[in-house]
Amino acid sequence: MMLNSFSPALLLFFQEVVETSRWEQMKISAMNPDLSKFLVIGALLFIIGVAGVLTRRNIIVIFMSIELILNAANLNFIAFSRYLEVTGNVNALAGQIFTVFVIVVAAAEAAIGLGIVIALYRNKETIWVDEIDLLKW
Amino acid sequence: MTLSGYEALFFWIFALAAIFAGLLTVMARNAVHSALFLISSLVSVAALFVLARSEFIAGVQILVYVGGVMVLFLFVIMLVNVGAEERGTDEIFNKPRQVTASLIFCLLLVGGLLYASSEGYKGLQRLRPAAQPESARERSLSVSGTGSSQITRNTERVGGSLFRYASLPFEIASVLLLVAIIGSVMLARTLKQEVSADDVDPEVLKDEIVRDPELAKLERRSE
Repeated sequence: MMLNSFSPALLLFFQEVVETSRWEQMKISAMNPDLSKFLVIGALLFIIGVAGVLTRRNIIVIFMSIELILNAANLNFIAFSRYLEVTGNVNALAGQIFTVFVIVVAAAEAAIGLGIVIALYRNKETIWVDEIDLLKW
Repeated sequence: MTLSGYEALFFWIFALAAIFAGLLTVMARNAVHSALFLISSLVSVAALFVLARSEFIAGVQILVYVGGVMVLFLFVIMLVNVGAEERGTDEIFNKPRQVTASLIFCLLLVGGLLYASSEGYKGLQRLRPAAQPESARERSLSVSGTGSSQITRNTERVGGSLFRYASLPFEIASVLLLVAIIGSVMLARTLKQEVSADDVDPEVLKDEIVRDPELAKLERRSE
């Protein structure tokens, strides 16, 4: 009974909390990950891959970083595909189909790239990219 | 698309696993460790695909990447000898100035990407207000006792629209794979194999025979 008589005031209090507290909002949005969270994860994976390509000396690890970059792109495709599916778009599966093609191209790229690595190692006896400088003068 | 409950929990677990495994891929000293961390990153991303209801792509990801590409990577790592890395005598990163410049570039890029995606998402929400109901198509899917019908349906739908809307790209992708097979076989041949297939420039061959007389015998055999 007493709670009932206080309830308008309580309601006002809670509303104010929900409206003002940024922390609460962040907590609620973290409890319910949506499209933007998938995009953030994809962006971070992409950046890690770019950093790997730019900083490492081992050519095989550079290839692995490229795989990481392609995978981040795949994550974005899948997240947008799901988003369009939920919002009732007509051709929501386009993202998933494109992902299949990205995976195919990644597999072909890995095969060719590793073939090049083997040929290179046979000729120059190194896999450090800063020692492969035949075109530099 | 809003995940909730256990799905949200698993989303964060796999997202953090993917990012940490990715970081360790870049930072690991030994290339084999890099490959293993990359495998765990790829598997975590496959789990994120499952959370986004695309089970077929998750399966393809595990089969192609972990089963095919990563095994190829491990074979190549074992073919080329990377002893210097494991002994810890050589530097695994580029020179400090190059590393600093590229890290600054990456920080700028991460800021730009996060800003762009958050702003873009806000605009998207303004365009289509939140709290979307599940689509009619998803509700119409029949539910079996094990809940497996939805997974089967995803494969069916992806396959259907793959051949309905993207059959020409599909054929082009098969040609691309054929080119990749032939190209990697050509690239990985040794000089001896090239000589016995009579596929070497005569000038180069003359020089190489001086260095290794065995090659002359191979050449005569092929003629």
